[in-house]
Amino acid sequence: MSEPPSIPPSESKRDFLKVLLGGSLVAWVGAILYPVVAYLRPPKQPEVEVTSVTVGPLESLEKGSGTIVRFGNKPVLVIRLDSGEVRAFGATCTHLDCTVQYRHDMGVVWCACHNGKYDLSGKNIEGPPPRPLDVYRVIIQGDEVLVAQNT
Amino acid sequence: MKKLGQKIFGWIDERVHMDDLLEFMGKKYVPINSHSIWYYFGGVSLFLFLIQVITGIMLLLYYKGSEELAYESIQFIMSKVEFGWLVRSIHSWAANLFVLAAMIHMFSVYFTKSYRKPREITWLTGMLMFFLALAFGFSGYLLPWNELSFFATKVGTDIVGVLPLVGKPMLEFLRSGEDVTGATLSRFFGFHVAVFPGIFTVLLGIHLLLVQRQGMSEPLGHEGAAHDEEKRMPFFPNFILRDLLLWLLILNLIALLAVFFPWELGQKADLFAAAPAGIKPEWYFLFMFQTLKYLPAQILFVDGELVGILFFGLAGLLWTLVPFWDRKSSRGERNHLVNYLGLGAVLYIILLTILGWLA
Amino acid sequence: MFLVAIAAAALLVVGSGVARSEDQCVTCHRLLGDDPSRLFARDIHAAAGVSCAGCHGGDPTAEDPEAAMSPSAGFVGVPTGDSTTAMCAACHSSPARMKEFGTALPTDQQEQLSASVHGSPSLSGGRQILQCTSCHQAHGIVSVREPSSPVHPLRVVQTCTRCHADASYMRNYNPSLPVDQLSKYRTSVHGVRNAGGDSRTAQCASCHGGHEIRRANDVNSSVYPSNLPATCASCHSDATLMAAYGLPTDQLELFTQSVHGVALLEKGDLGAPACNDCHGNHGAAPPGVESVSHVCGTCHALNAELFAESPHKTAFDALGLPECETCHGNHDIIVATDALLGNDAEAVCSQCHDATSNPRGYAVAGTMRRLVDTLARAEEDARLLVEDAEQKGMEITEAKFTLRDARQARLEGRTMVHSFNEEKFKEVISKGLVASASAATEATEAIDEYHFRRFGLGVSTLIISSLALALFLTLRRIEKKPRPPRAPIPTHQQQGEEQ
Repeated sequence: MSEPPSIPPSESKRDFLKVLLGGSLVAWVGAILYPVVAYLRPPKQPEVEVTSVTVGPLESLEKGSGTIVRFGNKPVLVIRLDSGEVRAFGATCTHLDCTVQYRHDMGVVWCACHNGKYDLSGKNIEGPPPRPLDVYRVIIQGDEVLVAQNT
Repeated sequence: MKKLGQKIFGWIDERVHMDDLLEFMGKKYVPINSHSIWYYFGGVSLFLFLIQVITGIMLLLYYKGSEELAYESIQFIMSKVEFGWLVRSIHSWAANLFVLAAMIHMFSVYFTKSYRKPREITWLTGMLMFFLALAFGFSGYLLPWNELSFFATKVGTDIVGVLPLVGKPMLEFLRSGEDVTGATLSRFFGFHVAVFPGIFTVLLGIHLLLVQRQGMSEPLGHEGAAHDEEKRMPFFPNFILRDLLLWLLILNLIALLAVFFPWELGQKADLFAAAPAGIKPEWYFLFMFQTLKYLPAQILFVDGELVGILFFGLAGLLWTLVPFWDRKSSRGERNHLVNYLGLGAVLYIILLTILGWLA
Repeated sequence: MFLVAIAAAALLVVGSGVARSEDQCVTCHRLLGDDPSRLFARDIHAAAGVSCAGCHGGDPTAEDPEAAMSPSAGFVGVPTGDSTTAMCAACHSSPARMKEFGTALPTDQQEQLSASVHGSPSLSGGRQILQCTSCHQAHGIVSVREPSSPVHPLRVVQTCTRCHADASYMRNYNPSLPVDQLSKYRTSVHGVRNAGGDSRTAQCASCHGGHEIRRANDVNSSVYPSNLPATCASCHSDATLMAAYGLPTDQLELFTQSVHGVALLEKGDLGAPACNDCHGNHGAAPPGVESVSHVCGTCHALNAELFAESPHKTAFDALGLPECETCHGNHDIIVATDALLGNDAEAVCSQCHDATSNPRGYAVAGTMRRLVDTLARAEEDARLLVEDAEQKGMEITEAKFTLRDARQARLEGRTMVHSFNEEKFKEVISKGLVASASAATEATEAIDEYHFRRFGLGVSTLIISSLALALFLTLRRIEKKPRPPRAPIPTHQQQGEEQ
């Protein structure tokens, strides 16, 4: 007479294998799904901004003031005149690449490095700068101000 | 869980009657012989193609196919989209591995003469898919619109223009104009995501259907799996499990490559800049490119480049038609000529690729 | 005009052979008492044996006026327009001719004049603005070295200003050209000495040239900004000449090595100053001690403004120190570096400030230098991090953009130094520190992401490996069984029962 068969050792191995297979399968599916789902979520900046950059709401630009925004990897000076009009120029001085600023008191765009001055259409009018500033297009969409390349 | 699975299966079976299909699939076997390892490469190619489809669709969600935005959209994917860097690098690496796997699959089928009767159509669809894979590679390469891809496309399409009569129209068709411009990009984009996938899917369907119907071919002299159980293994679950295991390892390999060797973006294409020195195509075109470079400007009275192109065209055609001129294999006889030709081709390709790489 | 020249040349061959005493032109015209003949007596050409006919043609031996002044004898009368210059050039542009008369005079005057600004068409058109006679006169021409010559160094100024100080005349040609050069000149060192009889000092022709005068904005002009330093140096670098005045002669050498010299002469930056931008041109004089900052301030406006409001202005003026020059030099201005600031030996502050005398300034200098060094280090650290992230293939254009602000803060800091005000300086520097910190954070985040990707790969590899292992074990299990048995193998018990 033989003993009643105990649970063969392969049974417990089978369970372990089932756990391993099931567990790693679930983990694997998760490791695939997580990046896919994360990828599908739209990023904070929903679109590649190459041709235009949003500056912000119109009210945030005070009359008679200027601010620098990043356009790609270049700085752009956005000024709001007393009349309310918004203009945008490349903020790199054409003399030796310093960053220019809007001087409301002088009524010009001024470069602090060597006293270069540009008028409010970007033209170099005084001092060392040899060329006018690049002019950018300003678009008012609703109450948002956008700056775009001048085509 | 099991009960739920059975319930769903039953519901479908009542409507679709899958008994004979299941019986057929249960009987499917894979021969075990000294060349069995090559059986895996068709599946590997399929797996890599599926990866390309999935990552390709994901990239499509963010890629913009115009001259002004293509480069920047990929930069955006690489930097701003979560895991975008991973999806893009996987797509680029898997593309190369796909071509490599397809080549290995094609050569192994060639040397085992699996193209012989009754598998001629399988071979033909396979060869067409191989050419499509190269076309996928060529068209996809332009899409980042960077310096390298712009000039590679320019040089590649220039070669087409060498053909007499049809050359220029073909070139203009490919380029959507005389030069490589944003119009070329749009056209290549359309080819890459719509035209080629459509045609490829049809060919793949035929190819897989035939493989299922006809089963796996056995190399000459290794027949016997049909009658001897020792010489075969069931497709389900044995071979499938092996397949999945291999696919899993390849997936890991691609992930490794994507992290440690991320695909470069380079500089945005400048239509007016001079070509950078030492421009060369991707490795799978290198052997042809290098051959053309070695040919003299004139051979007899014909333009050297033209001779090269015609040679490769002819070689490709003969290779594709091998089931029809290799009568011996269909009869079950060894064909040494085919072996030597094939060996010669492989060695030539390897040698010229190395030479092209070192140049 | 050319024919006149030929005729004149031909006649000269004849005319020169005529002895003075036989010159009937002079004899007759002197009886008439006209100016030309009177003046001609002193003329250098007369001394050389050239008769009236030598220029005007005709027969100088003939007593009869009609015979003497007959066109058949080659008489051309009073030349008008460019024929005047052609007449002079007939000899003066011929090296052979000049050799004949045994003189080493140059022969390119007419060529230069035609190419110069004075060779442009005159108001009436059809002729040059100036002829030879406009400056040299016609009949009483003497050597340049003679004090009575209108082109003698002491008289050039009067000759030029005859037109150039006449506002209504100059308006005809160039309304925006100034006409105050003379009055300015008389305030300059050159002008004062010239009025005092020094013929070696600079006058109009010294800088502008004589015949070859070009507009100041003509690149070939001797007073074009990039040519000007060499022009001034033609005297001011001459040691023997300057020795008499006790002036140094190293200015050009220093200038060419200076930041302004390099900018102007090597980089072609016309915004950089030449000698005249600081010294003035017609009213040239070194700027006075109190005005140095104003002069430098025409370009370096902000620095000058800050300096003027700072305690250094009154201090320097009281000590007679030349403001900007005290720390920066004048001709040898090199690019200002952080080393100029602070308490150590090579800093210019230590020339006056040390811990015991002027301790407040000493402390401020030390603080400023420390702040500057901190910012420089912070910016450098951030830049290295950004470079590292970039090398690792991560996208950090925003961080690079922010670094610009750090660089801008350093530039502004260098300017704000001139206020010598610790608070204002700190404000500027802290903006830079904020920007550097922000860039460094972004770069660090990018590098962390880079490492996260590798970690993620490790995790996925682990998962894939365990799944692969599971598959492999499953496979082995499946294949260990020879074949699934068709019927269950009966156990002993069952067998026992059945029996």
